[in-house]
Amino acid sequence: MSYPFSFVTPLVSAMFGVTLFHYIAQLVHAPTVGTPDQYFAYVVVGIVILGVLTSAVGTPPAVLRQELVAGTFERLVLSPFGAVRSAVCMMGFPLVRAVLIGVATLAFADVAFGLHLRWPDSLLAIPVGALAAVAFAPFGLAVSASVILFKRATVVSTLVISAMSLLAGAYFPVSLLPAWIRWTSDVQPFTPATELMRHLMVGTAMTGSAWLDVLKLAAFAAVLLPAAGVALTGAVQMGRRRGTLIEY
Amino acid sequence: MTALTPVLRLDGISKRWPKVPSPVLADVSLGVEPGSLVFIGGANGVGKTTLLRVAAGLIAPDSGEIRVGGLHPVRDRRAYQSRVGFLPAGTSGLYARLTVAAHLRLWSRLAMLPRGRREHAIEATAACFDLEPLLERRVDRISMGQRQRVRLAMSFLHEPALVLLDEPLTSLDDAGAELLTGALGELAARGGAALWCAPDPAGASFDRSYWLEHGELTPA
Repeated sequence: MSYPFSFVTPLVSAMFGVTLFHYIAQLVHAPTVGTPDQYFAYVVVGIVILGVLTSAVGTPPAVLRQELVAGTFERLVLSPFGAVRSAVCMMGFPLVRAVLIGVATLAFADVAFGLHLRWPDSLLAIPVGALAAVAFAPFGLAVSASVILFKRATVVSTLVISAMSLLAGAYFPVSLLPAWIRWTSDVQPFTPATELMRHLMVGTAMTGSAWLDVLKLAAFAAVLLPAAGVALTGAVQMGRRRGTLIEY
Repeated sequence: MTALTPVLRLDGISKRWPKVPSPVLADVSLGVEPGSLVFIGGANGVGKTTLLRVAAGLIAPDSGEIRVGGLHPVRDRRAYQSRVGFLPAGTSGLYARLTVAAHLRLWSRLAMLPRGRREHAIEATAACFDLEPLLERRVDRISMGQRQRVRLAMSFLHEPALVLLDEPLTSLDDAGAELLTGALGELAARGGAALWCAPDPAGASFDRSYWLEHGELTPA
């Protein structure tokens, strides 16, 4: 039963989050986020994207850490398939699970609280979501590289996820941030992904061009993915030189 | 008569750990020829596992060269690893909730065996280590000796040219030890070789034996 529960538990948690924000949204009457219903739609999409980010950045390093402790990472390193490809593959299941939980969360918000998803524009969220996942993946790979070097999984990933949830507009518009820190919303892929997904799914107005956000996501993926691959390969080689590759 | 090309060639391998004054391996050279079973003994902590890990490609030496069938462990990583089977010491390296059959299937994929060869390789290895009655059992629900046979099976499944064994008799009963002897015989018959590290030979017979002490390898 533990495998079904690994799907059910985060889904129930997301449903609690959606329910909580449904009531919080009733208290919100601010011009920056619109009516309570508009804020509810805004934050539900933020919760879904944050779930995908958490799966991309937090879960694979934690799985890698488990593999190190269990001694199974040694098998992966010594297989023709190899450590780097194995670490990349560790992202597959968490991302698919996060997408399924995201769809179920949106369905719950629709049925329980009348979230109005836009059709057929919401279908465009599928390729955009896939692009966003590819843009988030380098962060997970970079954290996995840090696990190989420093043997700690949650420190870096918790920092990244916490920072993104604050700085990238998951719960409130980044325009509310102080000017001195607002630039951080432009230098990571979470902000354009969230803005695009909101626009496509619930019709939130874009602050800029949709195509520019798509371009940003593609650019982050194109630049960061090879860099993360290099970091992961470098971490494995450094682990070999230090003799710490399979230490935990 | 020409000398056989070694399956494994270690040339001048040295390794030193930080904050430890003497090197764990000091200019170690060794050739393991096809069809041979080589033993390396030594007290706890002398560097037997380090030597095996260097040969497996898990640890890079500070100096020296390693070749398996002429291949380099980093530059030719995939081909190198497809020729090496490694049994780590201890009892780790298994997924507790996976069945024995799932382990063998997973390893056949990680070893990148062609799809058409996988089932045969799994069946042959399961037969070799008498795992057929255990195939559908979870590994956390079988005995330690049976788990060791699963770990051994994973080391032999992809028909490597070189098998590196770190204390392979751990938890094995006499029947298990005989199965290992049989597998090593088959390996030698097809031109493969094995390097066996343990504190003592424990009654097994070897073509050559060495003793590792103070980082140096000497014939026993």
